[in-house]
Amino acid sequence: MADGIGAERVDFLTVPVRDLARAEAFYGQTLGLERNPNSSERWIEYETGNLTLALVQPEAFGMEFQPLPFGAVALRVPDVEAARAKLREAGVEFRGETFDSGVCNGAMFDDSEGNGLLLHRRYAPFADGRQP
Amino acid sequence: MTGAVEETDFVLVLVRDLARAQEFYGGTLGLERSPSSGDRWVEYETGNLTLSLTQPETIGQEFQPAPGIALRVADVDEARQRLEEAGVQFPAGTIDSGVCYMAPSADPDGNGLILHRRYAPRNRGAA
Repeated sequence: MADGIGAERVDFLTVPVRDLARAEAFYGQTLGLERNPNSSERWIEYETGNLTLALVQPEAFGMEFQPLPFGAVALRVPDVEAARAKLREAGVEFRGETFDSGVCNGAMFDDSEGNGLLLHRRYAPFADGRQP
Repeated sequence: MTGAVEETDFVLVLVRDLARAQEFYGGTLGLERSPSSGDRWVEYETGNLTLSLTQPETIGQEFQPAPGIALRVADVDEARQRLEEAGVQFPAGTIDSGVCYMAPSADPDGNGLILHRRYAPRNRGAA
């Protein structure tokens, strides 16, 4: 990257929470993500493979809680319908039906705090011909 | 659900003006624009994560800012200076958290961006 600031990667995405313990149970158990040992009491990290989600309580830092918009974080799963069924069994509510965008399947849901997440699987090849 | 999530395919960043956002992400920040981008859905690559920019009405939503995407840079102060020269504001300056340097800012729509560099060793067992 010749211009700009030479950003190397995204180190984490801040995920605002209201109740840290409740969010930990959701990300750790319901979604089954790996908790990063770098986590501290007020900053809890979950790994998604390529991206670290940092659960933070904005109200503890004197800031307003504002959830991520619908479908903000697209989590790749092998099979959207199967993952959706498992999450529904665990009590997770989905927004609408599983959709087909023409290039991918997706199912929108909220985490325990109201942040928008998306189960996602691309099926169409990419613009450069790569298979998903 | 353990093991079902493989990766994060993208993070959605809602923007009010896609042209202005492209100037910022592509020009000011210098991120690589993905060939998968279209007219109303523009993707930028950050190395490990795709940022998908779209105007909220394209997907039937209201505008809501993203709280914080932390971009790793070699030197937070240097990157911050370059962005300040381009008119980007850093109201909190550079913060030393005890494990990393962070300079919180935002894109033209208020989506949070944090220039980030960890300096403390990682204490995780795996790489």
